[in-house]
Amino acid sequence: MTVADHADDARHAGAEPPAADRPVVSVEGLVKSFDGRVVLDHVDLRVRQGRIVTILGQSGGGKSTLLRCVNLLERPDSGTIEVAGEPVFAGTRVVYRDLAKLRQSVGMVFQRFNLFPHLTAVENVALAQTKAAGVPPQQAIETAVRLLKRVHLQHRGLAFPGQMSGGEQQRVAIARALALQPRVLLFDEPTSALDPESTREVLQVMRELSEDGMTMLVVTHEVPFARRVADEVVFVDGGRIVEQGTAADVLDRPTHKRTRDFLATFDEDVA
Amino acid sequence: MFHVHWSEWSGQLVDGLVRTLEYTVLGFALAAVLGLVLALLRTSRLALVRLPAAGYTELFKNIPLLVIIFVLYFGLPQTEGALGHWVVMGSFRAGVLGLAIFYAAYLSEIFRAALTGVDPGQAEAAQALGLSRRSLFVSVVFPQALRLALPGTNTMLVDMLKSTSLLITITAGELMSVGQSISSQTFEVMEVYLVLAAIYFAMCYPLSQALLWLERRVRAGAPLSVGRSRRLRTARELLGAPDAVTLRPAATATAGGA
Repeated sequence: MTVADHADDARHAGAEPPAADRPVVSVEGLVKSFDGRVVLDHVDLRVRQGRIVTILGQSGGGKSTLLRCVNLLERPDSGTIEVAGEPVFAGTRVVYRDLAKLRQSVGMVFQRFNLFPHLTAVENVALAQTKAAGVPPQQAIETAVRLLKRVHLQHRGLAFPGQMSGGEQQRVAIARALALQPRVLLFDEPTSALDPESTREVLQVMRELSEDGMTMLVVTHEVPFARRVADEVVFVDGGRIVEQGTAADVLDRPTHKRTRDFLATFDEDVA
Repeated sequence: MFHVHWSEWSGQLVDGLVRTLEYTVLGFALAAVLGLVLALLRTSRLALVRLPAAGYTELFKNIPLLVIIFVLYFGLPQTEGALGHWVVMGSFRAGVLGLAIFYAAYLSEIFRAALTGVDPGQAEAAQALGLSRRSLFVSVVFPQALRLALPGTNTMLVDMLKSTSLLITITAGELMSVGQSISSQTFEVMEVYLVLAAIYFAMCYPLSQALLWLERRVRAGAPLSVGRSRRLRTARELLGAPDAVTLRPAATATAGGA
């Protein structure tokens, strides 16, 4: 039985689910296609408060598209999306009026960092606070400095992205995503473009965030990270969720052949 | 050494110099605004918006500046009956407009290349942070496009300054017109035009050097506004960083590497 199943039981019993079991992100029947090619085929997913859900799967399987649909960087063809209990997308249209506000509550970290190269690290973290949330510049800088300390980068606050290693850039990107105090953080393969040392640094920060109770939805190829940190693992293949459950269930006792094949590739790599 | 008594002509030369700078500053300001608008239109997904802007650029890129100036100054007044009195313009207005129309075509190409040269991931990141379309452009896309556009734009500015000399053909009162006037009265053609060459060089060379300096400052990420300087000072104080840490050129950096 998965975490989602427990929540369903509680709801059927007529009781208001406890805060920790309320979904921060709820996706139902999501369909997305590009040029007639279906990349998400009726996907259902719930991410509960304070949980870490990792999405595993082959490249091109629809993982990143699923993530990008949550904050509407990609517009789904149909389905339902709710963020923090608010309907965002229903049927075939966007129903949440303030797209900027939605995106402030859903932080996103990209595979290629996408830091603004003309701004220092501290300015990268401060920008959205001043421009999107209307925080006074002085206060935004103070928050940015605090967040850079949180990701252990206070010594690089005045460096430009081009002067930083990949790992440092990704940690700045995490601080930037945290600056608007999001309800959930989306990670789109945050370590795929990094060397092992940088990967270790970024995963360390993500582990610390998980210990602080941050809700995270992580697309990754880092099976060891999923095993250690994830509350729930989702395996996506061909635009469908083919397996879903606790890390131990999915990673140690996969029931679906595609999941077993995928995990076997990692075992071979390790061997 | 000199056969011309330059002290007698200094007043006219200064007037010509000022007029040359007026043509350059006004012409370039107009061309930059028009060029930016055209570049933005050319990045539109709507063909109805994109095609007229592209048509403008192709048309005026392929017509000599002198032809545009002649059409404005000599040609348009002949259509006064049909179009109204506004088409009759003095040499100053015709000169500024001619320069603006011609250079806007080139600047739009430079700006368009710069705008499309900004990694699409930048706009996506800004969207994901909840920035409005305006903030996205002003704070993220434009500053990066500016870095890409500066070298070409600066070349155009210096080129325009030199091209004001073509306005001699409509007796525009700029430096070249003054020079022609002096040479026709003194018959010291060689001396007059060598002095003019020296004056143009004395304007253009420092200007290009100053623009190169500006390019380097912008590329290094140096603050160009009081607000940004203040924010960086605050950050430096909070981070406890020495001044030397800040604002080193990032020219050699890559997106993914150290």
